[in-house]
Amino acid sequence: MINTSKSNLVFIVAIIGLIVTAALVLFNLVSQGHAAFNGSNLGLHWTFPIVVYDYFLLTSTGLAMIASLMLIFGGAHCQPLVRRCLWLAVAGLVGGVSVLALELGYPVRAIWAIPTSFAVTSPLWWKVMFVIAYVVVLLITVNLLRKPGEWPAAARTSAILLLLAALGVTGIAGVVYGSMTMRPFWSSGDVPVAFIFESLLGGLAFAIFFSYLAHGFSQERMSAPLRDVLTGMLPKVFALAIFVHLMFVGARALIGLYSNAEGLQVWQYLAGTSLFHIELWAGLVLPLLLMLSPGLRSNAGSQTLAALLVMISLFIARYDYIIGGQLVPMFKGAWAPELLSYAPSFTEWMLLLMAIFLANAIYVWGEKKFDLSWCKQA
Amino acid sequence: MAKWGMVIDLDKCTGCQACTTACAMENNRLPGENWQDVLFYTEGTYPNVSMKWFPRPCFHCENPSCVSVCPTRATYKDPEGGFVLIDWNKCIGCKYCQVACPYGVRFFTDEKAVVQPDIRDVFPAKDDRQWDPPYKGPQDDPSRGIGIQPHGVVSKCTFCYHKVSKAPEGVADLDEDIPELKEYVPGCVRVCAPKARFFGDLDNPESYVNKLIADKRGVRLKEETGNKPQVYYLSGGAAAAVPGLRSMKDKS
Ligand code: SF4
Ligand code: SF4
Repeated sequence: MINTSKSNLVFIVAIIGLIVTAALVLFNLVSQGHAAFNGSNLGLHWTFPIVVYDYFLLTSTGLAMIASLMLIFGGAHCQPLVRRCLWLAVAGLVGGVSVLALELGYPVRAIWAIPTSFAVTSPLWWKVMFVIAYVVVLLITVNLLRKPGEWPAAARTSAILLLLAALGVTGIAGVVYGSMTMRPFWSSGDVPVAFIFESLLGGLAFAIFFSYLAHGFSQERMSAPLRDVLTGMLPKVFALAIFVHLMFVGARALIGLYSNAEGLQVWQYLAGTSLFHIELWAGLVLPLLLMLSPGLRSNAGSQTLAALLVMISLFIARYDYIIGGQLVPMFKGAWAPELLSYAPSFTEWMLLLMAIFLANAIYVWGEKKFDLSWCKQA
Repeated sequence: MAKWGMVIDLDKCTGCQACTTACAMENNRLPGENWQDVLFYTEGTYPNVSMKWFPRPCFHCENPSCVSVCPTRATYKDPEGGFVLIDWNKCIGCKYCQVACPYGVRFFTDEKAVVQPDIRDVFPAKDDRQWDPPYKGPQDDPSRGIGIQPHGVVSKCTFCYHKVSKAPEGVADLDEDIPELKEYVPGCVRVCAPKARFFGDLDNPESYVNKLIADKRGVRLKEETGNKPQVYYLSGGAAAAVPGLRSMKDKS
């Protein structure tokens, strides 16, 4: 059972953090407008807020995919993780969408202008349509599993629809970038598939990390079924997911470094940054080694560490992908350097913190309200 | 219906920026956020260096990627004349069109001012527009992206829609040397001192622009993107040239 006083503390910290960061962001946005962000018409149009938004959204869909796969195929022994994953998906979704709303020029107009436009040639239109479907099915599924107890029969149908909606959002998010043939760094047929695997990996990392967080990073405090999942099947699936993602990252980096295509010069630059090496070695290779070792794989400390490192690695990957695709200007010219330089502004960093606090506040509220750890004791 | 297009003769272009200035005046552009710009760049290494320049409006592509990506249909291709325009009342400022335009000709101007001091502080607007310049163009049509740019939306060259669309039907070319037509000529074309710019109907076999494209082998920028610009360059010998590459450095 969750320690109520600790979760109260986390909730209070999250709410205070949310108020402070949201106030800073709103003050800066009201006083400076979009000049509070470090984007520019030289070529950096989508900056840190889009990185944060996509990271949270795709983590959410990854968690929903895992929850629905468990609901569809997992049977009773997956029970202790499903409700936590679903609620984390809700928390991540709200965190991400709130950041997008603060980034868009006209967020309120977007609510009617996108759905009524039927702009079927736009990947972004499809993404929004899938996000709407995803929100609806996610809320229905959460509602069906709201109360501790056996899964209702309708949960399986709902899970199938949720899986399809989550796959749709993630795949189309990949198309948004992958279809930009004028930007070779982004464009590739495998991007939607890579996004889906990346989301799944993120979902697994978040599920593992937050399960430990809810139990004070101790397996002793967990219910037996939860402990069984975390020491049995889950770390093996986690290792496999890291491996698959590592293959995508490695393949793209190698091709990027080899190719002469204009726009791919950015790979030379990225490969020379420490962020990329943290993403690769500390964030993927090390967790993979931890999860491959039979001794460490079921250990609470190494699982938590691996999950945390993967979460960070995926964030760096999202940053490098979205920013990297815009670093080579569309034209050479005296006004544009060879590579644009970019670092998030203070307001942009605050948006990240705001999203983290908001998602955590919602998550902890759900923890208290819905008893996410509930499971039928074996 | 006409399909308006432009020809820019790079052998005649001197890089004087009269087009840039005329466009900024005509369309109330913020300093540095030029719908029509001339890019300068150097090629080669010292002592074998050459200075190049390249005038660049929006190309009003036949197959515009900015239109196909827009999730609200704010960016659209006008079937009457082939202009690519933005409906500022529908644009949500998602900037997908900016990301998707291979030519980098779209502007979201809410960012830090390109030229300091920020003229928006000197002439602040009372409504949701970017600024309130002392001289305003006579036209204001937000549904076509004409006038002073509002906050939160993207803008770009309109091919001077407010002039060209009023031209008498059926004319093959809009030339400032024809007195009765000069009012309909786009600002950048009208002021070009060496007469490096030509504007006419690409669908009219009689038009001078078509003749120039055929006789002087007009080329379009970045054909590989499939966007098919309605702006053609005559690129030959002297100084200015269609730039082939985005980068100046070798891979090594
Ligand atoms: S040049 Fe760019 S903005 Fe203009 S029509 Fe073509 S794709 Fe669209
Ligand atoms: S910024 Fe405006 S015009 Fe551009 S894609 Fe988004 S909604 Fe369309």
